[in-house]
Amino acid sequence: MNWLVLIPMLPLAVFVVFLVLPRAVRNRLLLVSVVAMLASTVLSVAALWQILQVGATGAGEVWRLSFAIGVLDGQALQLSLALTPLSAVMVAVVSTVASCVQVYSLAYMRDESRRGWYFAVLSLFTAAMLGLVLGSNLLLIFAAWEMMGLCSYLLIGFWWENEEPRQASIKAFLTTRIGDLGFMLALFACYSEIGTFDLPTVLETAPTWSSTGIVLAAVGLLWAAMGKSAQVPLHAWLPDAMAGPTPASALIHAATMVAAGILVLGRTLPLLELVPFVMIAMRAIGVITALVAALIAMVQYDIKRVLAYSTISQLGLMMVALGAGSVADSLFHLSTHAFFKSLLFLGSGVVIHAVHSQDMRDMGGLGRSMPISSVAFLIGTLALAGVPPLSGFFSKDGIIAALIREQHWLALAGVLLASVLTAFYMARLWFRVFAGPANERAHEGEPLMVGPMVLLATLSAIAGAAAVMFAELLGHNGHWPTLQLVALSVGIAGLGIAAGWFFFGRGERNVNTDKLKVQFAPGYTLLINKFYFDHLYAGVVRGFFVTADALARFDRVVIDGVVNGIATLYHGLCQLSWVFDARVVDGAVNGVAQLASVVGLRARQIQTGQTQLYQRLITAAIVVALAAYVGFDLIGKGI
Amino acid sequence: MTVPLNAYLILAAVLFTIGLYGALSRKGAVLVLMSLELMSMAVTINLVAFSSFVTPIDMTGQFFTIFAMVVSAAEVAIGLALVVAIFRTTATIELDDLDELKG
Repeated sequence: MNWLVLIPMLPLAVFVVFLVLPRAVRNRLLLVSVVAMLASTVLSVAALWQILQVGATGAGEVWRLSFAIGVLDGQALQLSLALTPLSAVMVAVVSTVASCVQVYSLAYMRDESRRGWYFAVLSLFTAAMLGLVLGSNLLLIFAAWEMMGLCSYLLIGFWWENEEPRQASIKAFLTTRIGDLGFMLALFACYSEIGTFDLPTVLETAPTWSSTGIVLAAVGLLWAAMGKSAQVPLHAWLPDAMAGPTPASALIHAATMVAAGILVLGRTLPLLELVPFVMIAMRAIGVITALVAALIAMVQYDIKRVLAYSTISQLGLMMVALGAGSVADSLFHLSTHAFFKSLLFLGSGVVIHAVHSQDMRDMGGLGRSMPISSVAFLIGTLALAGVPPLSGFFSKDGIIAALIREQHWLALAGVLLASVLTAFYMARLWFRVFAGPANERAHEGEPLMVGPMVLLATLSAIAGAAAVMFAELLGHNGHWPTLQLVALSVGIAGLGIAAGWFFFGRGERNVNTDKLKVQFAPGYTLLINKFYFDHLYAGVVRGFFVTADALARFDRVVIDGVVNGIATLYHGLCQLSWVFDARVVDGAVNGVAQLASVVGLRARQIQTGQTQLYQRLITAAIVVALAAYVGFDLIGKGI
Repeated sequence: MTVPLNAYLILAAVLFTIGLYGALSRKGAVLVLMSLELMSMAVTINLVAFSSFVTPIDMTGQFFTIFAMVVSAAEVAIGLALVVAIFRTTATIELDDLDELKG
């Protein structure tokens, strides 16, 4: 079954080929990328079919491919890919959504001069995501994780000529990088405990690890997922990431990359369950994220921002489900969310194309001018709101059921509240954009854009029925939602939608939100400032710059001062030395010469030129010498 | 009564001393030359005295004295010639005035 390795390899090959081609050639070969992606999709569906045939369940592996990529500490470093029922489903979902996005992008990016590069990065990203899903080794998963981060940076900053995408791409990359520190921590803990990164081994041996190792790994993985899946407080990058092309947002920031965090947590849940406070933290973080994001979404006017916050909110729900110990429900919601959120994003792209604006206030009455898009968007909206029998209802229901089962009442309350808000702001969105008097300016999207939307809408509608199958694939007994739960979901969705209709769907009798903004000014200010997270981060960054400035000044003043001071000191010493040399040494030398001169002057005076003086001196000398000789001689003889 | 050796030696010493005194303190060049001669004679007396007392048979001293006197004569001749030359050039023979080598 080694053909499975083609699933990530085909898009990767497309990237490599596109990388070396010049722009003009690239721009003509877009279909190659699309075809490769479709082939990958076909293969993933085939893989899923294989799984169903073989009847594997749970984490049972149907296929494994191991390869060594070097030596670490004397042992060969083995990486491996594996196919389990879970990964098969995820691969199918990812490649399907990716194919839809690529086809859509053919039309959306038609006038873009760098579209070849766009498709290349898109393919690379998909390859990385597929690699992450199929990977069975934490190191390989981390590599794919980082690769996706890079692609996200490249795609958000695709239109780097403008200020906003540049800053947004850096913000995204840095925020997720902070999360990546957690992943690295987990990798370190893993290696120091068991010396290998192999995922099945990790999960098996986890109970035997030291408590420090388990806690480090669990907290590290949770932190990493918080960064990648935009949980509070590492969520601020996702709304700004909307500066990238819409189909890219659909793929990475709705359906796949942000799901990677949840996915990794889902696969390592046995490890996380060993640390109870991590589970509690996951529920808490999930609920807070869901509520905060839903509240902010209610006051946004930019279509894409509403969808971005909606994504954050839904990711919070997935986190809560994981915190309740249910991998199946979380990943099921992940899959259905991938379908309807990407559908919503693509739909927003069509709308933005038609109206040339992203502001909802410029829209309205598009329902009549773009019927297909309108209906597709509606399906997506209802799915997100959790209206039966659409897929969103099944997956959200699963989460609620899990919470009831585990009796996490506080989390349940949070989830229910978030669901009401979700229904409300989505209804607000739909009514503002599509309801109302017809807008003649708008036109329906072209087939290449609407086609994928229709496909995704269909999937959003019917994928719910796959719930039972999904659960059984993961080893649980699938059960249809009980009547009470159906009623609960309908009630929540109904409440939200009704409120939305009341505020925004009644044409002339719509509520005047401007008055409300004044009435609830403090609350509104809080929401419109996104709970001041961005201000907080700006402050932190400013703090770093202030510190850097202080250190620079310290370096300039103190350290350079010391160095210059030493130089001055040395200069002074040199001066001293020179003075010494000039006065003392030269003085000595000159002094000797002076001495010689003076002595000579005096000594010269003996030379009077008078012979008799010489004679007298000689005579005196001889007498003295004789006397001394005789004297010593006498003394010597003892006299 | 034989004269002891010491008497001759003392005579020679006295003569030598007188000659030395003269050489050191006389101003006139000729007088200095005369003093030098005196010293030379004193030494000669010494020689002869020793010779006759210590080796009378060989008479080495006496022979040596003859040679010494010859040399002494030659030397005086040259000395006086020098003095005459000096007088011709500088019109004086006072030693105190001949100080051109003063340094």
